[in-house]
Amino acid sequence: MNFEMFESRVLPVKNKLFRFAFRLLGSSEEAKDVVQEVFIRVWNGRDQMADIDNMEAWCMRITRNLSLDKLRARQRKATDSIEDNFDIQQDTHTPYEAAENNENMQRISQLIASLPEKQRQVMHLRDIEGYSYNEICEILELDMNQVKVNLFRARNAVREKFIKINAYGL
Amino acid sequence: MDSKEIGQLLEKYWNCETSLEEEQLLRSYFNGPDVPEQLKDAAELFRFFEGERRRTLSESFDSDMMRTVKKTERKAKVVSMVRWVQVARIAAGVLVVVVAGYFVRNEVMKTTPEDTFSDPRQALEETKKALMMISKSFGKAKEGVGKINMFNEAEDKITGKEKTSDSTEEDKTNI
Repeated sequence: MNFEMFESRVLPVKNKLFRFAFRLLGSSEEAKDVVQEVFIRVWNGRDQMADIDNMEAWCMRITRNLSLDKLRARQRKATDSIEDNFDIQQDTHTPYEAAENNENMQRISQLIASLPEKQRQVMHLRDIEGYSYNEICEILELDMNQVKVNLFRARNAVREKFIKINAYGL
Repeated sequence: MDSKEIGQLLEKYWNCETSLEEEQLLRSYFNGPDVPEQLKDAAELFRFFEGERRRTLSESFDSDMMRTVKKTERKAKVVSMVRWVQVARIAAGVLVVVVAGYFVRNEVMKTTPEDTFSDPRQALEETKKALMMISKSFGKAKEGVGKINMFNEAEDKITGKEKTSDSTEEDKTNI
């Protein structure tokens, strides 16, 4: 792999990696560090990269592993809780957020952030990134059944806590 | 697509029975303008997903990344230089052993004696001469050893006397 191939084939997945790391870490600065680390690994191991069938899924998997490592390191040294570090309102507002940064968006964001780790990962990969179930299996190293169960629980948790509460005003 | 169909599709979505295409359909429908009141909350969720998809890294990321990658490339070159030095060290060691081995072999070859005579009879005479010389030397040495024997005999005589004197003492005490 040369610079041109790296630039044209690897670099374009950066935003997917960034969003996934951001979903897990809740910090855009740390998410950016993770993406850089992933790319450096790809570059340093470029001779072996030809053996990897799905480069994007591989990158996503490394992103998840590095993010979880960071999360664990943070939990180990942090005296304050994860929630305090989990600043959803970052400087990287999406154009949508900037236009319509309302209460509901924040509630959904917090709701997803409060989901168990696997549910959060599966929901992100399916509902935000639009990956197939097979790709999600590959990225998360889970079997199909686990992926579907986690997605089902995540969607239903959101439905229960957001849709119904809003609908009935409870 | 009317709201009833969307309602059915949404139900499939909650049960995780929708395909990626159907989910895309829901996403674009809910991001459109004509969302009925009763589906407003679901629309919020799909708008949230759509909004999250637009979260991106800053513009400068690519150039920063390429610079970092090029930097690690230079580091990798330095590492390979270090590896060459290692290889050269080992090669030098092997070279020293080989050269030393060559010289040692030459020395060993030199000490191997060559034939001094071409005529067997002459060689026999020479060998006889040499053996006679050794034999003569042995004879001389034997004379010398004979003298040492005199000392041994003398020593035996003395120790023999002592032994007999010891026994007489013992005899006395027994009496």
